[in-house]
Amino acid sequence: MEAFQQAFRQIIGWMPALIKASGNTILLTATAVTTALALSVFLALGKISRVHSPSGSRGLNLLRKAASALVRGISSAYVFFFRGTPLLMQLFFIYYVLPRYIPALAFRERFWAAYIAFSLNVAAYLAEIIRAAIQSIPKGQLEASHALGFSYGQTMRMIVIPQAYRRMIPPVCNEFVMVLKDTSLVALIAMTDLTYQTKIIASNRASSLVYIPAMVVYLVMTAFFTIVFNRLEKRLSAKE
Amino acid sequence: MSIIRTEYLNKHFGALHVLQDINLTVDQGEVVCIIGPSGAGKSTLLRALNGLESVHSGKIYIDDTLFLHREEGKLVSAPPSVQRKAMLLETGMVFQSFNLFPHKTVLENLVLAQVKVKRTPKNEAEEKARGLLDQVGLNDKAEAYPAKLSGGQQQRVAIARALAMEPRIMLFDEPTSALDPELVGGVLAVMKDLARSGMTMLVVTHEIGFAREAANRVIFMCDGQIAEEGPPAQLLGNPQNPRTRQFLNSVL
Repeated sequence: MEAFQQAFRQIIGWMPALIKASGNTILLTATAVTTALALSVFLALGKISRVHSPSGSRGLNLLRKAASALVRGISSAYVFFFRGTPLLMQLFFIYYVLPRYIPALAFRERFWAAYIAFSLNVAAYLAEIIRAAIQSIPKGQLEASHALGFSYGQTMRMIVIPQAYRRMIPPVCNEFVMVLKDTSLVALIAMTDLTYQTKIIASNRASSLVYIPAMVVYLVMTAFFTIVFNRLEKRLSAKE
Repeated sequence: MSIIRTEYLNKHFGALHVLQDINLTVDQGEVVCIIGPSGAGKSTLLRALNGLESVHSGKIYIDDTLFLHREEGKLVSAPPSVQRKAMLLETGMVFQSFNLFPHKTVLENLVLAQVKVKRTPKNEAEEKARGLLDQVGLNDKAEAYPAKLSGGQQQRVAIARALAMEPRIMLFDEPTSALDPELVGGVLAVMKDLARSGMTMLVVTHEIGFAREAANRVIFMCDGQIAEEGPPAQLLGNPQNPRTRQFLNSVL
């Protein structure tokens, strides 16, 4: 009984530090995913870019084809690189290596290095989600849009993306929760997120059980966002 | 004068020569039905007319103006894009699978392209849309989403949507093939009304009854060629080509 009470008191004692640190975890996740979303729309559209209606002179068409191939190549290479290499390596490279060559990137706050690494990395994954959602829209929608005279940009903006948007919400929410957990990697550049804070407390042997309440805090956060996103999903799908 | 004319259209799908030297003319006010076995190239021909399928070679004229000329798979000439789009809008297309925009109401489906493509003021576009919904017997469905409508109703909305752009010719790609049998009649009735009102129509269909009743001319296609054409009474009643006879025997 005595031991239980002592453990309980210990946990209460850790809580303020853990909760404060989990604020950083949420801040990093939310800002990085938001930035990544904006970036990923361009990457997704870049990856599926094609020259659609042949018109005008042959020279102009060749130019458009070359530009489209370039955009497609760059977007595909970006996604290939960021999905094909470990996130931790990307984080180390941005935090330790880049500032040596680009002094302007000498991060005074570790947060910015983590924010850049996560934004760039998550954008690659979200781009694939958005591309899949766009390409899941039946071809008939594009054909009807063409027959009604919509341009490619209008078709994307008014017909395809509004429909794809609903299909991409579940996987994007899923990705958000994954990123929330993945941000624990920033402990390795000593940014004070929930994981790093836990590690600091646990460095005192008497407090090594702090990992247990820390994991519970992670569980509470992931459960909270899962519930919020499920509600959001239901509300959006009820509209149709 | 002809609304649509093609000269020597050719297209291949790999080894399959799906369109072979197609010369087709549709005059103003004509209702032309294309019939034939599946894989004959009927839909491909129709879709080539508004650029949904590319062709290997040949010329397409819309309103006696060159719309597309390709040779050896390469573009030889086409009008500048602004004119091209205006010519494209002379054709209205109705698809087998309706292809209504599911995230827009019926009214929005009819209004969107009028406002965004033709720059019609919104109130004018809505007025036109309501008139057309009346014409296809669905004025009470203006605020509904397409998913709430039956297939037949969706297809009638799709017809109204194409008409809203004021095309000079309506292209129908097997408009009743995806419908339950009891819903076919309503769509065909709308199409017959349209034909009576003087609309130029090119219809790919398996509805021999519709062709007999509404068409001025019936074209029988098979193996990528126009095998026979003529007035419905002649082509359907007394076909000359043995392939036509064989096909009609199998469907009637």
